[in-house]
Amino acid sequence: MKAFTIFKAVTKNWMRSRSGLFFSILFPVLLLIVFGAIFSGVGGASRYSMFIQNFDMNTADAKPTDLSTAFIDALNSTETFDIDIIPSGENATEYARDALGPMGGSMRILVISESFQDDLLNGTLKVRVGITYDTMNVSYWYFEPYLDANQKAAFQQGLAQMQQYNATIPGAQASLTIMLDPADTSAEMVKSIIMSVANAFNYELIGAKNVIEFNETSVVTTHFSTVDLYIPGITAAFIMTNGIIALAATSTEFKRRGIIKRLSITPLTKIDWIIGNVLSQALLNLMLAAIMIALGWILFNIRVIPDVLSIGLILLGSIMFSGIGMTVSGLLKDAEAASALGNAIAFPMMFLSGTYFPLEWMPPYLQTISKALPLTYFSEGLKNAMIYQNPEGALLNMAIVAVLAIIFIIVGALVTRWKEK
Amino acid sequence: MSKTIVEVDSLVKQYGTLNAVDGISFKIDEGDVFAFLGPNGAGKTTTVEILECIRPLTSGTARVFGYDVTRNEDAKEIKKRIGALPQDFSALDKLTVKENIALIGDMYAKHLDVAEVIKLLDLEDKTNEKFENLSGGLKQRVGVAAALVSDPQLIFLDEPTTGLDPKARRDVWAVIENLKKMGKTVFLTTHYMEEAEVLANKVAIIDKGKISAIGSPEELISKYGGLKVLIIRNGDKKLTDGLQKKFRQTSLSNEGDVNVKVDNIDEMWRVMATLTEMKVKRDIEIQTPTMDDVFLKITGGRITEEGELKQ
Repeated sequence: MKAFTIFKAVTKNWMRSRSGLFFSILFPVLLLIVFGAIFSGVGGASRYSMFIQNFDMNTADAKPTDLSTAFIDALNSTETFDIDIIPSGENATEYARDALGPMGGSMRILVISESFQDDLLNGTLKVRVGITYDTMNVSYWYFEPYLDANQKAAFQQGLAQMQQYNATIPGAQASLTIMLDPADTSAEMVKSIIMSVANAFNYELIGAKNVIEFNETSVVTTHFSTVDLYIPGITAAFIMTNGIIALAATSTEFKRRGIIKRLSITPLTKIDWIIGNVLSQALLNLMLAAIMIALGWILFNIRVIPDVLSIGLILLGSIMFSGIGMTVSGLLKDAEAASALGNAIAFPMMFLSGTYFPLEWMPPYLQTISKALPLTYFSEGLKNAMIYQNPEGALLNMAIVAVLAIIFIIVGALVTRWKEK
Repeated sequence: MSKTIVEVDSLVKQYGTLNAVDGISFKIDEGDVFAFLGPNGAGKTTTVEILECIRPLTSGTARVFGYDVTRNEDAKEIKKRIGALPQDFSALDKLTVKENIALIGDMYAKHLDVAEVIKLLDLEDKTNEKFENLSGGLKQRVGVAAALVSDPQLIFLDEPTTGLDPKARRDVWAVIENLKKMGKTVFLTTHYMEEAEVLANKVAIIDKGKISAIGSPEELISKYGGLKVLIIRNGDKKLTDGLQKKFRQTSLSNEGDVNVKVDNIDEMWRVMATLTEMKVKRDIEIQTPTMDDVFLKITGGRITEEGELKQ
């Protein structure tokens, strides 16, 4: 009952604090809107600007050759590039610099060589003749016992003529040159897309077929957007900051101003005080999750639906991070120091727990560290419950979060001083 | 015979090698307003917090309502019966006066009607005002209201007027006077001599963790206050010399007043008779000793407005 009184008082106090509301609710919501706008495709999908200078022209009409045009069309069909053609008489880099203007941007120039079509045709012919020669040669060795002398001589003559003809075909490869800015973070992505298009072109010309069929399907049954995928991570991260930074700073401030001491003179117990604060955090975090998901529904048409497991996880996460927050508060005397320590704990955890970046992107030692971070399990649990619809995964992470919640709330209670020294 | 509410015997509180409270003993009876008078760092708050069961003692005994402050079960009983205004009282900034008082009240099994307590402290105009918007004096009054809301038998007021302006200080005094009339037992700590003298019926002077003197203000003044002084305004050397022949403790001050220290009322009348004989027609003022004089006599120093001891 006394815990409920504390819960009501600290919640009311927090609800009336503009800065508290901003950092606990409004800031996460703003971040969600920014993330959502970036990743939900508002304003079109990501496209890369690229300049192409085509030197491969027909001698008759000085127009681009069919194959170089087809290659540019193939690049266009990927819907990945905004292509700007540089006239063949221009200096490519100067043209691109002028076109990018004073605001700059990444300069990517693809140069199609003068003999692109000829080299491509010759190369294709050479490959095809080579394949035919190899096929005939294998056939000759297979059928040789059944052939008479004249037939053998004719076969050998044919093979020799084919070899001679192939030797006369120019062997130069069709050349493409890509000029990239070393500081361009998208360079690798652009390069791989161009190489994919070039490979597809190669296969088509030599008549090769893919022997491996590549199918893509989602690991989740419902089609989720990028915003859906970010919702559990962002929610988890802010539930953490509410506990570790906000609660730690508030509790330390209550302690510094003697509010906790005043309450300790009454029959209120330390346990009631802790339960009241944890309940307040739980309510705040449920509200945060509800607002984030509701806004996601309204603004970004997300499909995430919280279930019992995700609500349970949010409650356990609130206890766990409140425990860490109380530990921080119990160890320090002033709110600034508590806030600084809270930040020092929360921010590395935010980036090392796979909340914003996949763990696979990190070096192995950081992946090992991430396994020791409470946010990793909380965030994974929420993803399993909300996105992957994997109750087993959610329950496993929930069990880990529950154990950590018990440990941290005990530590928090032990270091929270209810009596002076 | 009055009931003993607080009984402290040979109480010691050590921080490392420092004895913050050094073997003090005293008793507070029901209905007493007990003033613990001393400079900052004398051990006043430490003693109060030991009695409030929020600070452990090192040795000695301390009992409140007969309960031992060191036993957890006893501490629960003590906490049910006491109210407190801690030093530098503060409350939840965004809650109103009413909500903050109710918050403390709700910590007890039963409490007074919050509106009544607000009325008692003359805070009705500020009932729905947020705590953060109150002046220092009003905040202290909210603190006193929070201390009273549980209808306690013993109220600890730790430096209730420190940092307040004279008007706010007088307001808090009025509240304490009211508590006295209500028959409440009050444990008041202060570094203001006048506060102790005006409000308390029992004063203990504490310095460096030790109680130097204890008794009613009158007893202390009588015992340690020293002589009364008769001040004859606008005197001169001739008058001083004339009086010095009969009263050795006569002096001429820099301000031109003649000061005659007297031991008792008979001696005072003799001075008056001498002045009549000398046909002296000047303004005369009688200065009686105060707690300041008592404190100076006992500790050899005075306490500044900020609570520091100046030798």
